[in-house]
Amino acid sequence: MSDTIPSKQELAYQQDRSDIIRANIKRFYIYFVLALVVVVFSVVRLDEVSWFERGHFLNPNNIINLLRIAVPIITVSGAFTFLMIAEYIDLSIGSTMSLASVIFAWMILNGFSFPVAAVVTIFAGLIMGTINGLLVMKLNITPVIATLITLSLYQGIALLIVPDGTSAIKSIGEQTMPAWINNYAREDVLFGLPMAFFVGIAIVIVLIVLQRRTVIGKYSAAIGGNKTAAELSGINPVYWVSILYIIVGISAAMAGMARASYMSLGDPLSSQGMELWVIIAVLLGGTKFTGGEGQVEKTIIGAIIIIVVTVGMLTVIPAYWQTFALGAVLLIAVVINYQLVGES
Amino acid sequence: MATTTENVQAKPSLGSRISNEMFIVLLMIAVLVILFVIAAIFVPGFMKGQTIVNIFTSNWYIIIIGIGVTFLLITKNFDLSVGGVIAMTGVLSVYFSQAANVSRNPLANGLGLPYPVAIGLALICAMGIGLVNAFFVVRLRVPSIIITLGTMMLARGIGRIVTQGAQRNTSLPDEFGLIGNMTLPNTTIKIYVVIMVLLVIIAFVWERKTVGGRRTYFIGANSSAARLSGVGVARHLTLLFIMSSFLAGFTGILMASEYKAGISSRAMGYEFDALVVSLLGGVSIMGGFGSVLGMFVGALILAVVQSAATGLLLSPEWNFILKAIAVFIAIMAQGYFLRRRVG
Repeated sequence: MSDTIPSKQELAYQQDRSDIIRANIKRFYIYFVLALVVVVFSVVRLDEVSWFERGHFLNPNNIINLLRIAVPIITVSGAFTFLMIAEYIDLSIGSTMSLASVIFAWMILNGFSFPVAAVVTIFAGLIMGTINGLLVMKLNITPVIATLITLSLYQGIALLIVPDGTSAIKSIGEQTMPAWINNYAREDVLFGLPMAFFVGIAIVIVLIVLQRRTVIGKYSAAIGGNKTAAELSGINPVYWVSILYIIVGISAAMAGMARASYMSLGDPLSSQGMELWVIIAVLLGGTKFTGGEGQVEKTIIGAIIIIVVTVGMLTVIPAYWQTFALGAVLLIAVVINYQLVGES
Repeated sequence: MATTTENVQAKPSLGSRISNEMFIVLLMIAVLVILFVIAAIFVPGFMKGQTIVNIFTSNWYIIIIGIGVTFLLITKNFDLSVGGVIAMTGVLSVYFSQAANVSRNPLANGLGLPYPVAIGLALICAMGIGLVNAFFVVRLRVPSIIITLGTMMLARGIGRIVTQGAQRNTSLPDEFGLIGNMTLPNTTIKIYVVIMVLLVIIAFVWERKTVGGRRTYFIGANSSAARLSGVGVARHLTLLFIMSSFLAGFTGILMASEYKAGISSRAMGYEFDALVVSLLGGVSIMGGFGSVLGMFVGALILAVVQSAATGLLLSPEWNFILKAIAVFIAIMAQGYFLRRRVG
């Protein structure tokens, strides 16, 4: 007896230790990856790339540039995390962004003021999110199929709004796009960063608070963990998941607005494939792909990692490698994710 | 599958001798006929022999990749990588068979392999993508939608790298363009249409009459029950993923041969079209339900809608919206009629 008890304790102690180490790796690896990526690209010379100031990666101008490029993905991926925690998916965010940016650019071009255009765009995002929510939750169409339907629908509408013979909304006859459309996503507000960036960060902060302090965070995790159990304990998945879809729609519309402002045109195709970027960010951030677990802030770090990697990579390899790299990064993210959260 | 037959037996009523799957197929054939009549009345110049030939032949590539996508959908899995695989295989078949060291332009130099070897290697690469899909879905239990989105980019990315973002179309051997441009004697019907019809027939016989085909439904209806009753679920799914990629690769080779070029932007959005025709044909993502024949009818419906839209001089952008509406209506209507039938 006296032999076995200490060895059991020993075992338990070791088990605890490995659990703690595992939990810590899980908690901090994303910050480590970010640091690693930044260090790697700091060592690599970035002189040849026109996007960057001459010099090294950790130059304030470079960081500001990177963050400006990262605005759309930061804006949209936080809300997407919620959806993936609840084990739902929205493949239509790219099209939602496209349609929103086309609507926004069209309104600015037709002489509406910024607040009016912004409100209409956000309202359009709300409607698009509501349609997704209705299809998935009320009509019980599988999320993937439903959002593929709306992907095609929103994409088609965006392409229809753009006049025939032009590829994007940038001018009507003589009238060209007013230059101030740039202000939202390019003008220096604070530390060289534009308004759109702070709006994106504000959305992220709101979402973090929502996740930590309000029922919607707990409910989405409960729905993703076990939908039937959640339903039986009085959570109404139809209501809450519809809300999540609406939040995703609104943030995608705001991301589209930022992109239209950044490029000063409404391009119906520029946001194609955005869902892939966001899914990578969410998976890198350690959100369980079977739902129930995940954090908004880690997704944002994941999003910044992707932007750093893709932009940094353009310095070393030609642009046509990007598609391959993005696919490879997704598979790597899945493997990391599986190692850390998939099994437990 | 098990539940649906039980339901039919429990309520032997009108038309219960045909299975629910065939019921949906017949329903969609009726829809096809109605749509065709409507189009013939309202669209000027629609009622021509050539239109009918076009309806049967224009979507041949979607139908071939649709076979693999349909079987995977029956097992509750998505394959979004097919479009990427088409692009990759087309580009690789060109790259492998281009003559080596003939030009200073890197895009004109290939590996100089004989054409059959080049095709074989390209198909092996395509099946490799299927293997990656299967590994992640079967071993790591990652949702297929996420993985196949990744391999879609991976495959298309390989195509982009090999063509440096453009296309390869020079210094090809003469036999390269043969298979894609061959026609049936005395007609304009291309040989790949015949291949498509043969593949659909083979797939239909396979799904109805063979053990492997019925296992596909079993896995889709209840994968745990299938595993517990001794079906090799992992092996079966792996084979299905590889077959889907193989069919996509085969399509890629035919398309590259038809145009005598390997274009990395080829087949954009085909994965969505393959899903659209499967869903139009009544394949259910709830698993264990659907038929290749339905997918074929779905492809014909899509062709009618698209050629009617072209006849009405709608701009090509309408295709996106029409597809979305068609799938939505199909899903709602099929659900409604099945519920009514089963009671």
